[in-house]
Amino acid sequence: MAPRTGIFSSSVGTKILIGLTGVLLVVYLLIHIAGNMVVFLGPAAFNTYAFTLESNPLLPLVELVLLSWFVIHIYKTVRNFLSNQTARPVAYQKKKSAGHTTRKTFASSTMIFSGLWLFAFLLVHVKAFHDGWGTQYEWPAGGRDLYRQEMETFANPVMVGFYIISMLVVGSHLWHGASSAFQSLGADKPAWTRVILPAGKAIAVLVAGGFIVIALFAHFYGVRS
Amino acid sequence: MRLNLKIWRQAGPTAPGRLEDYTADSVSPDMSFLEMLDVVNEGLIVKGKDAIAFDSDCREGICGTCSLVIDGVAHGPDRGTTVCQLHMRRFKDGETVTIEPWRAKAFPVVKDLVVDRSAFDRIIAAGGFVSINAGGAQDANNILIPKDVCDAAMDSAACIGCGACVAACKNASAHLFMSAKISHLSLLPQGQQERYTRVTAMIDQADSEGFGSCSNEGECEAVCPKEIPISNIARMTREYVMARLSK
Repeated sequence: MAPRTGIFSSSVGTKILIGLTGVLLVVYLLIHIAGNMVVFLGPAAFNTYAFTLESNPLLPLVELVLLSWFVIHIYKTVRNFLSNQTARPVAYQKKKSAGHTTRKTFASSTMIFSGLWLFAFLLVHVKAFHDGWGTQYEWPAGGRDLYRQEMETFANPVMVGFYIISMLVVGSHLWHGASSAFQSLGADKPAWTRVILPAGKAIAVLVAGGFIVIALFAHFYGVRS
Repeated sequence: MRLNLKIWRQAGPTAPGRLEDYTADSVSPDMSFLEMLDVVNEGLIVKGKDAIAFDSDCREGICGTCSLVIDGVAHGPDRGTTVCQLHMRRFKDGETVTIEPWRAKAFPVVKDLVVDRSAFDRIIAAGGFVSINAGGAQDANNILIPKDVCDAAMDSAACIGCGACVAACKNASAHLFMSAKISHLSLLPQGQQERYTRVTAMIDQADSEGFGSCSNEGECEAVCPKEIPISNIARMTREYVMARLSK
């Protein structure tokens, strides 16, 4: 008889943890993009929104919770990937997708790579907008002039290029991940799956497309304003 | 028909294996894939060579013994079909076909195309059964089971344990197999008493056998000769959560 494993150490428990943190991160991303859309309302609205967030005393706690989701998601997926690699020591000489009902896509086959890219992106992203990168500007009404910082960052074509590629990677990760997370949590019944699968892809397009539009807006119109 | 075959040959579990070229002449489109291999083997035996080892038993798609990966797809290109029910009319004259065994750490190669699938037996032995005395046959209307529940249990029970799900999965995961067995028993009254000990014991056993985890790609469902859906895997997850919470 096999030894009893801890709930989150078993193959099913690992899936649950990855799926749960995945769903939470998708919800966070949706809130994040909704907030970022305020940029279209101009510098005053955007900086006021940013200052409201940054001056909230609960922010460090929220950030800590968010960080824990990222850490758990990344740690469990990397460990799971490495353990899965050992499950087939001799590779097939010829292997292809079975087609038919499969959900296998380029996105699903590259989850670990898109995930690791996003991890690298996050380090740059947090450094640039959370800690501040380069010249920092004060906003007269309070807080930082993050609108100006965003416009200046995206004036650089290298930054815009890196950002757009990273957002396409986010889209790819969510193309499989957003719906897959629900399957991992046990939510798969024919009536639900008919909604969950296309909804996951719609979220991927919405999130990636939304962030890309903001970056392009900042690049082409931001410097003038 | 004439086919060029590339077949995995491996003398034993620890011997190195490789793809070897063979030619199948005079293949009738009405032959099954295994009958085609039988003809190739007869030719090898006449020449005094070692026949290609492969598994088969019922040859009518119900026993789960045949197990070949054909051109990279477990059980070959037809949907809902075992290799023994795959026919040569599916292939073109002059085509090159690659034949390999199931590949997984938990399914070591015994010889050529034959693998040891006793890991599945050990998963079943860990809890995939009903050990309570359910008594004699009940009156037909004594235990009422809704039709949809009955159908779902029966569809799950259709799993023949061939291992194609493991062979097709990029992680060599046994989740579809386990979830079919767990769904079958957890949906019916006779399986209730051991419902939660069963799911934990089977998952622990599969993990210790070296099967991988599930990435929700559904390649298993696509190759399953009995077309068992991955919604069973979601049910297994729910059963697992309930089992762990109830302890």
